[in-house]
Amino acid sequence: MEKDLNAKLEEAGRKKTASTKIDARLVGNIAPYAGLVLVVVVFAILTKGALLSVSNLQGMSSTVILTAMCAIGAVFVFGAGYFDMSIGGAVCLAAVLGAQAMIATGSFFVGFLAVLAVSIVLALLKSILAAYVNVPFFIFTIILSSIFSALVLVLMGNETTIYLRNAVKPLREFNFTEMSIISVVVLAAFFIFCVVVFKFTPLGLKAKNMGGNIISAKQSGIDTVKTTVKVFIMSALGVALAAFLLLLRTRTASASTAGTVGTDVMVALVLGGMPLSGGPRTKISAGLVGAVTITVLNSGLAILGLTTGQIQIARGLVFIVVVLVSSLSYRSKLLPR
Amino acid sequence: MNEEKLIVETRDLCKNFGPTVALDHVSIKIYRGQITGLIGENGSGKSTITSILSGMQPPTSGEMFFKGKPHKPSSMIEGAKLGIGMIVQEQGTVPGISIAENIFLGSENKFGRVFINKAAMVKEAQKALDAIGFTGVDAGAPIESLNMQDRKLVEIAKTVYEDPEVLVVDETTTALSQKGRDIIYGIMRKMRDEDKAVIFISHDLEELMETCDTLTVLRDGVLITTLSKEEMDEDVIKRCMVGREMTGDYYRSDFSQPVSDEVVLKVDNITSGFGMLMNFSMELHKGEILGIGGLSHCGMHELGKALFGEMKLLEGEVVDTRTGDKVNSARGALLKGYGYVSKDRDKEALVLTASIADNILAAGYDKLQKGLFLLPGDTKKYVNGLVDELSIKCASPAQDVQYLSGGNKQKVVFAKWVGRNCDILVLDCPTRGVDIGVKAAMYQLIDRMRRDGKSIVMISEELTELIGMCDRLLVLKDGQLAGEFTHAGGMNENQIIDVMI
Repeated sequence: MEKDLNAKLEEAGRKKTASTKIDARLVGNIAPYAGLVLVVVVFAILTKGALLSVSNLQGMSSTVILTAMCAIGAVFVFGAGYFDMSIGGAVCLAAVLGAQAMIATGSFFVGFLAVLAVSIVLALLKSILAAYVNVPFFIFTIILSSIFSALVLVLMGNETTIYLRNAVKPLREFNFTEMSIISVVVLAAFFIFCVVVFKFTPLGLKAKNMGGNIISAKQSGIDTVKTTVKVFIMSALGVALAAFLLLLRTRTASASTAGTVGTDVMVALVLGGMPLSGGPRTKISAGLVGAVTITVLNSGLAILGLTTGQIQIARGLVFIVVVLVSSLSYRSKLLPR
Repeated sequence: MNEEKLIVETRDLCKNFGPTVALDHVSIKIYRGQITGLIGENGSGKSTITSILSGMQPPTSGEMFFKGKPHKPSSMIEGAKLGIGMIVQEQGTVPGISIAENIFLGSENKFGRVFINKAAMVKEAQKALDAIGFTGVDAGAPIESLNMQDRKLVEIAKTVYEDPEVLVVDETTTALSQKGRDIIYGIMRKMRDEDKAVIFISHDLEELMETCDTLTVLRDGVLITTLSKEEMDEDVIKRCMVGREMTGDYYRSDFSQPVSDEVVLKVDNITSGFGMLMNFSMELHKGEILGIGGLSHCGMHELGKALFGEMKLLEGEVVDTRTGDKVNSARGALLKGYGYVSKDRDKEALVLTASIADNILAAGYDKLQKGLFLLPGDTKKYVNGLVDELSIKCASPAQDVQYLSGGNKQKVVFAKWVGRNCDILVLDCPTRGVDIGVKAAMYQLIDRMRRDGKSIVMISEELTELIGMCDRLLVLKDGQLAGEFTHAGGMNENQIIDVMI
């Protein structure tokens, strides 16, 4: 009797787990790529091929690099359960301060160090807020985001745009091909670096556990404060590289630099197949795949003649739909804690 | 039995929680003019039946009949309207309002549509309290003026006031003193004599045998048998509950070895931030299973957290006597060889959406780390080893923890600490919601650790397992030490309960 029951229970358990597992995993793994293909095909048709023209591909590639860099780094932060809405602001602030450092010293290298330093200081600030203050973290990032924009305006003073062309002599300007090679190499290196850190060091495991259940993570003896600092540093590296590549390519910086990156990163992560609440389904590839998808989407809508405002609305709608659909299929919460 | 007196009947009632079967085709009949007892181990399905009956949750399948008609209550409110009243184990009063307001919570409209006539409400509430023989209280006083036991009596008054035809008393008596128990017994008998039905759930066999007219035994969601008053025999009931002869092997068998004098952990006069522990001290010896018992709110669960450095202490300290260091963070405790199994498995001990592997690794990754790196080959070997060792039933370690049964989930939690080979394990309700087979495996595992010289603190709400497993038992009451029992000096269940309450 006892035995029968146990056997029955086990069987029931196995059946249930086996089927649910396959569905969820399969959907979770394939959906982002299917989404990307779908977006490309739909817009290629709607734009009668204009989406895939050489000039548009060139334009998209530089945007992809910028968004992907930020999004890949952000995977760590979001994965650990921190909803960071200030990434765009951080890129802008780092770029402007970096540009000013370049003009002041005439050196690209010093500028790069400045960009890196600014990003890391901002990351430390955010990790202190995230780890020690008992207020939902995303509230801070909303405030930080507006503080960053305000700081940029203060720093720029009367100028609207900082031009590096005349100030920084030592580095010649790159043509499109050279710039593309540099960007792709940097992006690939950063992507591989992040995958290694996420999969082959304990940081990924710790971040996923924190995002999944911070109480359990603490009770498992994970040092949540140190982990928090580390995930923000990873994100800061992405921000710094993005800001630097932006300066290298455009040789300008302004208050509107990287204006839509913040929201693009969030949409990218969701489109890339990870919940914004982080946790076990976090994956680095989400940053890259999602960045491509959202860029294609933006570009396609622009070619179709939508205004910036209309594109914003369309992106918002896509975001909501994806969050809805994924919350249905993953049965996991997507709201920030 | 006179079928005219039949008031509640269930036919093939089933309830599943995911893959866990809580009720398996249960057909039970409840009659008027009787007190029907329900007994069974934790997780046997007793409370599931009554919660379905009262409308708290729907069944997965099966039928219910109430007074001969199909019974499908959509909520507890509907259940109560139909005449099913329930007194539950957990605290059911709302703080911040008066006793009278608690009694008429949800039915304030009786005393005015817009403005409530408070005087009338208090007067009526006083009547409700008097009706159950709970005198000497002002119904207009805030609920906080009563202690936990008296608040329970307020709940009882509320339920009885609604004049139910079926009264469910769900493990209420454990929280009550003799006075409170006598009131409940009185109410149950009175209702029976008024030709109403009473369902009484309790862990206390003696109490059930004395009070009930029939006793139904459940095990793992299956109705095992129903015994009449004459058939009630302690040994028979126990055997039905656990499904086999109770032998010494279920718990540990040898208590002959003296425990080492070496103290590994010392709690020195601690008072916790939430005030659940007051000036509490204790010592844990090497190779000892130390039991901590008491009622739910006695502070024992906070003590468990404090031992693992997870509780803010206002005063006093927890000291690891082997190193002389204070234990004040989970990370610190872990590094000193401590492990902690939380009472709240799903909320605190596991990441439900994560895989078995990731959960186990959360506590053990540093043992596998090579320099900066954590290599998949090593983690796989580690996790597979533990899954085998603890016989965790799963398709693969990549499977999500959330779809495992309670027992298997608990095995995953244990695996976290078994893998680290912890010297000191703090177990808070380690067998809560775990089926009987896994329970036995857990006890064996705990006993094996003891024999390996590990020290174990076992916090539990089940007295039988504490008596069956512990060398020494500390009983807490209101955050303070109320009594200490040793196996050498004898552990008597009644004596222990006396100290608890």
